[in-house]
Amino acid sequence: MLGKLSKSNSHTDYVCQIHGPGEVAAPPSPADYAFGTFVRIPVDAEHTDLIGIIYDTVLLNPELGNLGPRLSPPSDLAFFSPDYLAEKVTLVGITVVGMLAPDGTPTHGVPPLAAQIDAPVARMEDDAVRAFHRTPVGSVQAGYAPLLLALGSPLARYLLLRVIGDLEILFPTQTAALGVLRNELAWQAAIGPLGGGL
Amino acid sequence: MTMPTPLGITRGPGESPHEYTLITPDRSETARVGEFVTYTARIAGETCQVLGRITGRQPVRLLPHGFLANPEVPPEDVAALVGYTGQAHDLFEITVTILGYYDSVLGDFINPRLPPRPGTPIYLADNDLLARVLSKRALKQTGAAHIGSLLSREEGRVPIAIDLRAVTSTHLAVIASTGAGKSYLAGVLVEELMHPRNRAAVLIIDPHGEYGTLVQMAHHPAFTSNTDGYHPTINIIRPNDVKVCISTLTLGDLRYLLPDLSERMHYVLGRAYGLVRRKYGDRWTLAQFRLAVTEAEREIDGKKGADEEPSGSEDAGSSGTAGALIWRINSRLESSRIFNDFTSLPLPDLFQPGQCTVLQLNEVDQREQQVVVATLLRRLLQARMNTEKNLVGEGDDTYLPYPAFVLIEEAHNFAPASADLVSSQILKTILSEGRKFGVAVGLISQRPGKLDADVLSQCMTQFILRIVNPIDQNRVAESVESVGRDLLKELPALSKGQAIIAGAGVNTPVLCRVRKRITDHGAEDVDAPAHWLEWFTKGRVEQQSRDQALLAEYTRGKRKLHKS
Repeated sequence: MLGKLSKSNSHTDYVCQIHGPGEVAAPPSPADYAFGTFVRIPVDAEHTDLIGIIYDTVLLNPELGNLGPRLSPPSDLAFFSPDYLAEKVTLVGITVVGMLAPDGTPTHGVPPLAAQIDAPVARMEDDAVRAFHRTPVGSVQAGYAPLLLALGSPLARYLLLRVIGDLEILFPTQTAALGVLRNELAWQAAIGPLGGGL
Repeated sequence: MTMPTPLGITRGPGESPHEYTLITPDRSETARVGEFVTYTARIAGETCQVLGRITGRQPVRLLPHGFLANPEVPPEDVAALVGYTGQAHDLFEITVTILGYYDSVLGDFINPRLPPRPGTPIYLADNDLLARVLSKRALKQTGAAHIGSLLSREEGRVPIAIDLRAVTSTHLAVIASTGAGKSYLAGVLVEELMHPRNRAAVLIIDPHGEYGTLVQMAHHPAFTSNTDGYHPTINIIRPNDVKVCISTLTLGDLRYLLPDLSERMHYVLGRAYGLVRRKYGDRWTLAQFRLAVTEAEREIDGKKGADEEPSGSEDAGSSGTAGALIWRINSRLESSRIFNDFTSLPLPDLFQPGQCTVLQLNEVDQREQQVVVATLLRRLLQARMNTEKNLVGEGDDTYLPYPAFVLIEEAHNFAPASADLVSSQILKTILSEGRKFGVAVGLISQRPGKLDADVLSQCMTQFILRIVNPIDQNRVAESVESVGRDLLKELPALSKGQAIIAGAGVNTPVLCRVRKRITDHGAEDVDAPAHWLEWFTKGRVEQQSRDQALLAEYTRGKRKLHKS
């Protein structure tokens, strides 16, 4: 378990608070919520899971800006006011890119259902990611790619590049088409801003 | 009866008032440039089918170039990868030029001056509709010449028949690069002219001897009438049989024929010509003309002597003028197998309804060809004028009581843009006045750029086959006003046997696939490699080496043969 949803910016854009030390028995390591990690968010037990991708990370520190003198040094605060330290959290942005039905049927694109506040966010294992991207005929699909690019974020192309890189590992027989898409995105991300055409 | 599926939906008006655009997925790939489409409109309370021709086709939905980066990966696979699973993604914007609705009373298209509303469904025009409205004449009607079928449809589905009445009154031109099939098309045209339903009086000026195979028409069942037993007569006149009576030559002809005339020679020639015509009228001989030359010079000298005192040197020069002129006349006319004193090709032998005369001018000097054609056309026009004005009657040499059609191959040699030849003048006269007297010409040229622009522009029906040369394309664009720019763009892309037919003979310019000829084509290229190979298969090399071998010499005593 990575954390829980603490906020949403839109129907598909959520903010997840990563479990900190002491909140759960085994808090996630930074590699678990890395940029481009696929996560699942249960909507309800009967229906389905929302599938999202971590597209941003924000470190929240309430102490930032408090430059005045402290009554207690941080080492004492850990002993006397542990709650205060717990307010330093890591937030990750999640963009929802599809759904996975209980029977394993994936749907790419904007899901009709929204997640609930405090919904748990879990990292998807490789098999689940593979299942989410596999078409009925066994080929790979990333139908949410236009959705990611439409985010308008400067990181969107890099996010998609990262996802495609992961998919090339998960689908070693499908690298030809993925390679064409990766090259196109790499060109747009790397050469396009420098004035490269098309 | 099921309703046909629309080709596409009108998007809006085009750049000009008589254009509109439509959007179509064109899954059946029928929206080709030159294809005809139609929509239904209410005009003056009646439902009309408004015909239009596709003049442009632009894809409006393209895959990103990057998707095409790997030739081994279909771009559709990449599109499917990012979630596009639509089967046919192509969409095209088609530009259509409105021709109008066909008015059977006027026999022409009337432009509604109103493009279709956006959203109007556009259909591919029906074959039957096109067959009815593109050609001025029905296929088997008198005056119809079946040239082929509409190129954008299956062969034979939409026959194209030109109106011979329009062609034989307003002339035609066949223009094409070498090897594009102009002689073949001309052959088809002649076949139609000689068909039992038309029975034309046709003369073909054939500088290359390509039309000899038309003789097959004489006994071919396709050209035989079941009702009255008509079959065409084919009269092939070989180069040796081409005769022109010297007295039919004009002063211009003589000046053109005789080489390198000085100013004085021109003057003497003019005087002599006037003299011989005053003395002998329209019938004079070469000997009489020579005498007239001598007499003319004497007259000039006498007049000069009376006016002024000639110097000795001038006198000596002038005395040689007649001799030099006569020498030129003899070298050009006396030794010619064409020009003679008494015989010309009789017009009634050349022109008869139901007769195709092929005047073969191969092996004839080009200047002589031009004069032969000029005299013939001049006589033809004069005969028709005299007949129409009732100046001559039956039995006269110049009585020709029916229209005539003359097809001229290599027309740029007879009316070039760069020079004003004897044949240019009479051609221009016929092109401008011939329709009044039923004299029509068909000009065939592979170099429209070299053809006189006035001549080309007065041929009101045009058959244009493949033209690659930009100069020739420009000349066609300048001179042929009835063909739109959109069709002219097709010229380099036409294949052999495909032609644009435009002008008075059809209701609207069409891309046509020329039909197969019934007779054989007589202008096949020489298969040089086959002939070269044949040389070796007949043992000719051995024979040649035997023939060219050096003679063996027998040396006495040594009893040995050796080559010297």
